[in-house]
Amino acid sequence: MSALTLRLREEPPERLDLSGLCAALRRDGPLSIEKLPVGTSRMGLVLADCFAVSGGDASDLRIEGGSPRLDGVGAGFSEGTVTVEGPVGQRLGAGMSGGTLRVRGSAGPFSGVGATGGLIEIHGDAGERAGGAPYGAPVGLNGATLVVRGRAGTRLGDRMRRGLIVTDTAEDHAGTRMIGGTIVAGTVGAAPGYAMRRGTLLVGGHGPLISGFVPTGTHRLVFARLLHGILRRLAPDLAGLAEGDLERRAGDLATLGKGELLTPRR
Amino acid sequence: MAAWIAGADASLDDAVAAAAALLAAARSAVVAGLSADVAGVQAAYRLAETLGASVDTVGSDALYADLGALAAGGAVTTTPRETIARADAVLAVGARAAASDLWAEAAATRPSLGMAAGAERRMLALPAEPGDRLSLEGRLGELRGALAGRLRPDAAVANLANELREVRFGVALYDPGELGELGIGMLHGLAADLCATTRFFALSLADAPEARLSAQVSAWQTGMPPRLGFGRGRPEHDAWRLDAARQVTSGEADAALWLACAPSTLPPWASDLPVVAVLGQASGAEAEVVIEAAVPGIDSDGVLYDTGTGQLAFRAGAGGTAPPAAAVIGAIIEGVARHRGLPC
Repeated sequence: MSALTLRLREEPPERLDLSGLCAALRRDGPLSIEKLPVGTSRMGLVLADCFAVSGGDASDLRIEGGSPRLDGVGAGFSEGTVTVEGPVGQRLGAGMSGGTLRVRGSAGPFSGVGATGGLIEIHGDAGERAGGAPYGAPVGLNGATLVVRGRAGTRLGDRMRRGLIVTDTAEDHAGTRMIGGTIVAGTVGAAPGYAMRRGTLLVGGHGPLISGFVPTGTHRLVFARLLHGILRRLAPDLAGLAEGDLERRAGDLATLGKGELLTPRR
Repeated sequence: MAAWIAGADASLDDAVAAAAALLAAARSAVVAGLSADVAGVQAAYRLAETLGASVDTVGSDALYADLGALAAGGAVTTTPRETIARADAVLAVGARAAASDLWAEAAATRPSLGMAAGAERRMLALPAEPGDRLSLEGRLGELRGALAGRLRPDAAVANLANELREVRFGVALYDPGELGELGIGMLHGLAADLCATTRFFALSLADAPEARLSAQVSAWQTGMPPRLGFGRGRPEHDAWRLDAARQVTSGEADAALWLACAPSTLPPWASDLPVVAVLGQASGAEAEVVIEAAVPGIDSDGVLYDTGTGQLAFRAGAGGTAPPAAAVIGAIIEGVARHRGLPC
């Protein structure tokens, strides 16, 4: 059986909400999804109004022709593979619990919110609060792995609770209000870890630091060796960050202060 | 009573009909501004529901800075009246708070109620360069860390921390638009820390009372704050997707109604799509269709947001010729229903 393929007919005339797609596939199978409501306006668009559907293997879902107006792609996804050839909108992989979600384009804000398992890979840039919590959400990323090959926006991993985020570059306020988990970045902007309670930031370079982080010495950490093996697989260019001695700062001491900012020894 | 279509004088009936036609033809309209009394805002929600439109309010960025921090970590807060009556120390967090009317009033008076009655009020400040949010957030974090004994800040912040340890009823004033969600969360955390040993509150200087009124109306009408939409026939909240400015900039919205009974200018995005403007003061050139409405509390009776108490309060008006905003929007709703073949 060939991959279940959704080919976008044209740029959507409104934002489309695909957050119910994975649940519908699990519940009713691929035959029923053409009538799945996806519109967000009074026009009442269903999936078949915007996508040509072919194939039938729901464990290999392909979306050909992305758009920044496709929200909730891969939301609630639990097993198999989803591949998007193009950009997507907000809340990519929200609440995902397993499987692999690949976007060969950029993503809007709040990628991976509430995702408890699986791998989300964004080949382009990610919008604000990737792996972070939008308004009203209790936590951001919650156990999944999020890889951003391009540039991540502000507040990467805001209120993240568990899991791993890897990116080459992140803007200001990476790791704000973190509750737990790990963020690895080649460089981050200003004020990383603001109001961070627990968790780990491992960065090659950073903008101005807040004074809530205090040096606690240079360490060779067993955790870093384990992380090095994972990074070699996910992002070989960044694996070197977890090699050798690491300078450790504890913070944010304005709050609980059980988080840490690690940088390679100069 | 005045109304305009494409800048030319028109009768109220013709302007209402033109407004209804413009909005009924839209795929994704936005109803925004929401600067009105309770009845006007309720009518705006009914219009949005009829249209399947989204709703946003003036000042919603600052509103969401407060609501975001509240949703994430709670808040320890009070009212301006209580601040003037009871506070023995007032802390201005940022430049706008130090320039506020409430700060000036607190500096000119003494507490009259409670444990600190009659005592001299200490006026404290955590300054930062205007517009430098990163610096303000950082200083606030230093202060909180110093109060908890976890950080050793510079002398200025250390002295401020010592002063705050002595207060019996302290209030920190802040402007939510200046401080931002992260800083507000830090300030509420600081207030909660201090409340372990004394009484301390963070008070938002709501620069747009319309947003606070809209938030209350929205809560009882839908159970959610504004930036919600009725596109799918039920109220849905999404602070990012339903941001009016974002929707217009991205080309997702194709018509708008702007409601502003208080004097104001239309937002920059209003020139990018067809707009119906219901305004308290109008020249007729502001939008495709402009209808002048009474200013509640001045021209007409109305229930408005009282910034002193943080509550809704009745304000009598002197009476004017312009119809109330609720009546104007009610007539537009009837026109939209006729266009779409809906029961009125």
